[in-house]
Amino acid sequence: MKKKGLGKLKSGLVAWLLLLPALIAIYLMVWRPQVMGIALSFFKLKGYSVQEFCGLDNYIRVLSSKNFPLALKNTLLYVFWSFTLGFLPPLLVAFFINEMVHFKNGFKTLIYLPALMPGITVMLLWKFMYSANSSGLLNMILAKFGMDPYGWLNHPNTVILMLVIEMTWCGFPGTMFLYYTTLQGIQMELYEAAMIDGAGPIGRFIHVSIPQMGGLLALNIVNQIIGVFQVMNEPLVMTGGGPNGASMSVSYLLYRYAFLEGKVGDSLALGTIIFLILMVATCFYFYLNKKVEENL
Amino acid sequence: MNRFDNKQTTLLSRTELRTVKGQILYWCLFAILVIVAGVTLFPCIWMVLNAFKTPREIAAGNTFIPENFSLKSAIEQILYAWDMLEMERSIVNTLFLSLTKCAITVLCSGFAGYVLSKRRQKGMGVVFTLVVWTMMMPGSVRTVSTYLSYLSFPFIIDDGFDSVTNVNVLNTYIPFWVSAAAGSFTLILFKNAFDAIPNTLVDAARIDGCSNVRIFFQLMLPLAKPTVFYVMMGALSGPWSDYFTPYLLLSDKSKYTVPAWLFVIESKTGVTQNVYMMGLIFASIPPAILYLFFQRRMSGGIMIGAVKG
Repeated sequence: MKKKGLGKLKSGLVAWLLLLPALIAIYLMVWRPQVMGIALSFFKLKGYSVQEFCGLDNYIRVLSSKNFPLALKNTLLYVFWSFTLGFLPPLLVAFFINEMVHFKNGFKTLIYLPALMPGITVMLLWKFMYSANSSGLLNMILAKFGMDPYGWLNHPNTVILMLVIEMTWCGFPGTMFLYYTTLQGIQMELYEAAMIDGAGPIGRFIHVSIPQMGGLLALNIVNQIIGVFQVMNEPLVMTGGGPNGASMSVSYLLYRYAFLEGKVGDSLALGTIIFLILMVATCFYFYLNKKVEENL
Repeated sequence: MNRFDNKQTTLLSRTELRTVKGQILYWCLFAILVIVAGVTLFPCIWMVLNAFKTPREIAAGNTFIPENFSLKSAIEQILYAWDMLEMERSIVNTLFLSLTKCAITVLCSGFAGYVLSKRRQKGMGVVFTLVVWTMMMPGSVRTVSTYLSYLSFPFIIDDGFDSVTNVNVLNTYIPFWVSAAAGSFTLILFKNAFDAIPNTLVDAARIDGCSNVRIFFQLMLPLAKPTVFYVMMGALSGPWSDYFTPYLLLSDKSKYTVPAWLFVIESKTGVTQNVYMMGLIFASIPPAILYLFFQRRMSGGIMIGAVKG
């Protein structure tokens, strides 16, 4: 009897031991820096070394600088454009491919191609395509129609749209594939039943397809918003936040503060602010997720 | 048009496709897809074609297809670009990093997923909730605070920010490895995949005297193959696309991975735009190979007939 108890204790210990490496890593990489970041955002920092407690000074400086409202406005513009451009195309393309009887696999492979390229390659490739002189692909096309070269990334009003086009180009194949696999999971009988009830193609789209994938769509939208809100790589690689701060997102501002301008305290305070905003969105995502799973 | 007769009923059905209106609609959709495929392909084709042009031809920008193109000149240009880009070192680094990260991910997340799925102890419910919350926490806001924590990374004991036992791990691969072990999403993927394996199988193996390690390698991993391959592909291809982490953490350029290297050599002398385009092509090849290798292996169930009765 005693041996059995000891054996149980030992197997419990082994289980904890196997779990430990992952837990320590999560602690070191996620929880510790997160807590540290919030705590240190109330301190004055000189370079990367901590000086003294300074209360809300960092926050006041961040919120009162003209960069913050600008970056927040830009980030919301990123979210708006990526939603406008990025929501319908993958959905429609997934539907269209699902209808095909000719060249179906060919379309799937060709359209998936951008998703295979590393993100940095896509960004640099598009940077060249947007090039302001005559060597860029888009200006080559303009020249074919006899128009002058256009500075695609040099106009404050459209630069975010241009970056979002690049993001959509490399992001939509993945989303499209997700929708496509869901569409494949919808049973043929549902469509046939709707057809017998007299529903045409549009009727079947509204009454069969949309209810069947509505939950996934909602989740994906929220996920996309959370993802785009954190956009940093595109402005960093393609524009450097320019022209004149017109493409600066909050995450890029965070990077600028910490690694280019030496305002580490400000960047930690900004990080905490973004964290709070995103946690609200994430809680909403969780809530939605629960709703969707209950309806399945 | 007998291909249409076998079509599954979706939005367009067989009967509708026999009408003229249905035919027109179908071919309209087909045309739209051709355009979409064109939009996705066009930049890639342009990238490949530009890699084989001369710098002067690119700057002029009035030819789409390279003039004076021949097989011999193409090979010469590939070799010239390879010499100019000096990517050998970064390729070795990326290979090393992707292999080690893959092993660490499968071992750490895999074992943790196994324990949470099949060896649940008291108190592990809380752990699992914590892991789920970890997954949902936005990563980008931690960039600066993780960077600070790398400056004095705790080993053995963690007693604060400026402790003597802490070590500066910047300019090493340690942060990459630890973050590979900290994948909360992969942990949950593993747990879900292992949940689908019947407990009776594990119990049978235990009665036969299998250790946890053996159960994991000989039972869990083979039975959860699609998930294992999915995770492996993610871990292997990660270093081939992440330019930011190496760029930020490594000061020694000889430790750079391919994406970070590409990012910094844009202004290097001799790297003209055609050479650079060739570099982009080189950098896209390994992830494409990985995808082709894992694509078929990631789908399909294998649970049939494992437990009888």
